[in-house]
Amino acid sequence: MKKFSQIIVHIAFLFFFYFLGTWISDLLNNVIPGSVIGMVLLFLALMSKVIKTEWIEEGAQFLIRHLSLFFIPVTVGIIEYLELFSGKGILLVGVIGISTILVLISSGGTSFYFIKGRYENND
Amino acid sequence: MINLIVALLTFIGTICAYIIARIINQRYPSPFTVPILVSSIILIFFLLTFNINFETFMTGAQWIDKLLGPAVVALAYPLYIYRKVLHRYILPIGIGVIIGAIVGISSGVLLAKWIGIDNFLILSMASKSVTTPVAMELSEALGGVPTLTAVFVILAGIIGTVCSPYIFKWFSFNHYVVKGIAIGSASHAIGTSKAMENSQQEGVVSTVSMVLSALFVSVIVQGLTRLLML
Repeated sequence: MKKFSQIIVHIAFLFFFYFLGTWISDLLNNVIPGSVIGMVLLFLALMSKVIKTEWIEEGAQFLIRHLSLFFIPVTVGIIEYLELFSGKGILLVGVIGISTILVLISSGGTSFYFIKGRYENND
Repeated sequence: MINLIVALLTFIGTICAYIIARIINQRYPSPFTVPILVSSIILIFFLLTFNINFETFMTGAQWIDKLLGPAVVALAYPLYIYRKVLHRYILPIGIGVIIGAIVGISSGVLLAKWIGIDNFLILSMASKSVTTPVAMELSEALGGVPTLTAVFVILAGIIGTVCSPYIFKWFSFNHYVVKGIAIGSASHAIGTSKAMENSQQEGVVSTVSMVLSALFVSVIVQGLTRLLML
């Protein structure tokens, strides 16, 4: 029970940062999502010790552990778009596959170049 | 009253589907049994069988997605916990993630444009490499359809996770930092859970890369996509 109330309070803290982020995002014409701004603000607050990890950790761990639960409703919405995958839309699966493989190669390749010779002494 | 009961049932049904999906995934861990895929298939099957429309389903299920915003904020926590890893590998992680973000957005948009895919689908797909809640918000801001984005993100997650062992072998990416950056940039949370299975260190780098990728893609996706769509 104590853990449950802790999770609720911690999530309330996260909501505070979310609303703060949304407010700033509105000021910036929503170029960056409010939730992402809230995330940056929370990170800075943790780094500068304005916020202690004990104030948010139970809530943060809970939300991250069950992250996929929160977007099940949106994903089920695909039921209204099933016909898209019968026509040309199915080609998109190929596009997504090729593009994803290119990301693996390019991000891995770039970091490989920077890792080589620099971090070999341990690990 | 009936409405409230229906809403409660769809709410509880969604949570049950999630719990069942998690049990299946724990018993048969694989990119094809990730809870989001299995639970969505269970629910879609259920809705189609009993002829329930999506609007009815959402009356209860909409209570669940209210937590998406704070869940994205919560990603600051692992980034903070693993700040030493971030600090130590700031150069490879930072540059790897930036290149991955640019390649991911431009290759997806250009390929789709080239084969003549509809604009709203391209806009829904532009941010497919980042974690679903962020990708959906970005899609909405661009004029895409968040639901389609969620599906495209899951596809990118599964395809990247399944292909990664071969890519790593062919290109001899054998350092855990390189593997973590690649999988975190390309396949977000689905890839990260696979990375965690390979080694804790690879999982940590993947987590950090996934969060930074969400941040960086958020900053560039609108400008870059508009430029590519010209």
